[in-house]
Amino acid sequence: MRAARQVWSGVYNLVLGLVTVFKHLGHKAITLQYPDERMPMFERSRGVVVLLSDPETGKLNCTACMVCARICPVYAIDLERSEEPDPETKKRYPVKFEIDNTTCAFCGLCEEACNFDAIKLTGKYEFSVYDQKTLLYDRDFLQELGRDVPYEKKKKPLPKAKAAPKADPTSPKPEEPASPKPEESPEESPGEDKPEA
Amino acid sequence: MFELEGIFSAVGDFLASFLGAPLLQIVSIIAVAGVVIGFLMVLALFLVWWERKLSADFQVRIGPMRTGPHGVLQTIADALKLLQKEDIVPLTADKKVFFWAPVICFVTCFLAYICMPFGKGLIVRDLNIGILYIVAITTFTVISLLMAGWASNNKYSLLGGMRSAAQIISYEVPLSLSLLGAVMLAQSLSMVTIVQGQGGSFLHWYIWRQPLGFLLYVTAATAEVNRTPFDIPEAEQELVAGYNIEYSGMKFAMFFLAEFINMFTVCAIAATLFLGGWNPPFEFLSFIPSWVWFLGKSLFLVFILMWFRWTYPRLRVDQLMAFAWKFLLPLAFLNIIVTGFLIYLFE
Repeated sequence: MRAARQVWSGVYNLVLGLVTVFKHLGHKAITLQYPDERMPMFERSRGVVVLLSDPETGKLNCTACMVCARICPVYAIDLERSEEPDPETKKRYPVKFEIDNTTCAFCGLCEEACNFDAIKLTGKYEFSVYDQKTLLYDRDFLQELGRDVPYEKKKKPLPKAKAAPKADPTSPKPEEPASPKPEESPEESPGEDKPEA
Repeated sequence: MFELEGIFSAVGDFLASFLGAPLLQIVSIIAVAGVVIGFLMVLALFLVWWERKLSADFQVRIGPMRTGPHGVLQTIADALKLLQKEDIVPLTADKKVFFWAPVICFVTCFLAYICMPFGKGLIVRDLNIGILYIVAITTFTVISLLMAGWASNNKYSLLGGMRSAAQIISYEVPLSLSLLGAVMLAQSLSMVTIVQGQGGSFLHWYIWRQPLGFLLYVTAATAEVNRTPFDIPEAEQELVAGYNIEYSGMKFAMFFLAEFINMFTVCAIAATLFLGGWNPPFEFLSFIPSWVWFLGKSLFLVFILMWFRWTYPRLRVDQLMAFAWKFLLPLAFLNIIVTGFLIYLFE
């Protein structure tokens, strides 16, 4: 009896496997035909670094403040500031801006640090080349890469960020009226608890 | 109307009209060999492509798509690539045996088709020992595999060759015994007589009188052609590729094509002995040419073998041997005894 049950279970499982596999016939393929089709990258994906330009003037947002170069953990950014500001925008601009993609770690710190929406990590991930030297992207190339990259203006520009440390001594004051309120409620709650106790 | 028999006899008559008798014999031998070998080569290329497409479909991929519509020319491209490859012979290999192993493997896989009834009257030579001859000649594969494994002078090749020898010889026994039931019913070893014995509706097919024999044959045949779940001679995880590791270029392609032709051979035998060969399932369907039925049934069985391959995991060596000798062989004997007893009772 036990042997018969074992044989039945064996046959049943063999047929079950065949049926399961057969159900996949005619199923739409879940794979992506890579060079023809590409997966849309997410907004937060960190790929090649680009330089953003002002959509109206077409000039770089970068003022060559060197924040990105200083924060870069792998020293992939090399830039030089212009001696004179640009006559149209009245701002300094980078004479030289090079990103070495062989060392770039795609950490995104430069994008976080930038106060002028000038540098951004994009969803572009295809930059294989035959010569390693061509991975050293210069200013114009980075600008071209960033032409069609959409971006939003950062909500907090530089002046407010500078004001933040000054506001530190004043900040406790607005917090003070807020802090008693949470303190009042704990006082009320023990009062309610006492009759219960 | 589309029976190929008439076309072939017309070509024969046309050749006979201007060729002398001895010359006609030579020309017809070459022509028939060319037609059969050409058909089998195209079939093998198709089967390789079909296997890849089916495996892709089972795994929810799409498989080869680039060469030709749905990648139908993929195997031709692969064969051309293999032709261009350097023919590497290992330094320590036994050169002569290394050369002859794929040749023997490739040539013997065609020999089974001498007495394979492709359709009504479509047979190269109706031998009166037909099925015995086929069973004998298909076992020749084991010699070539053993030669390849031995001559490569590689431990993986040798293991693969030894395993294939052990496996094919073991499974040859239940395979031949499972065929005996159908032979007993037909009272003949001739393939044509066996097919004619199954004429009429599909109820006359021997699968209904030999269900156990059919299952045993399909199981043993899967092992005979080294396909999953019985593909231990070329178990990738253990032996890299088995007997054909050291082979490259066209020699490898010969092994590869022979493997697929062998797969079609065992399926064609099963279709002939158990599924009525070129007989249509119903009388009124006989307007469809007989070779279409034969090809359809054989390819259906090939599909089942491919379906097995992408479903079942590989057996261990000891399980494989135990399965052949302890399970299939007693059942095959039981099948013969029961068949003989029933034939004695009813006829």
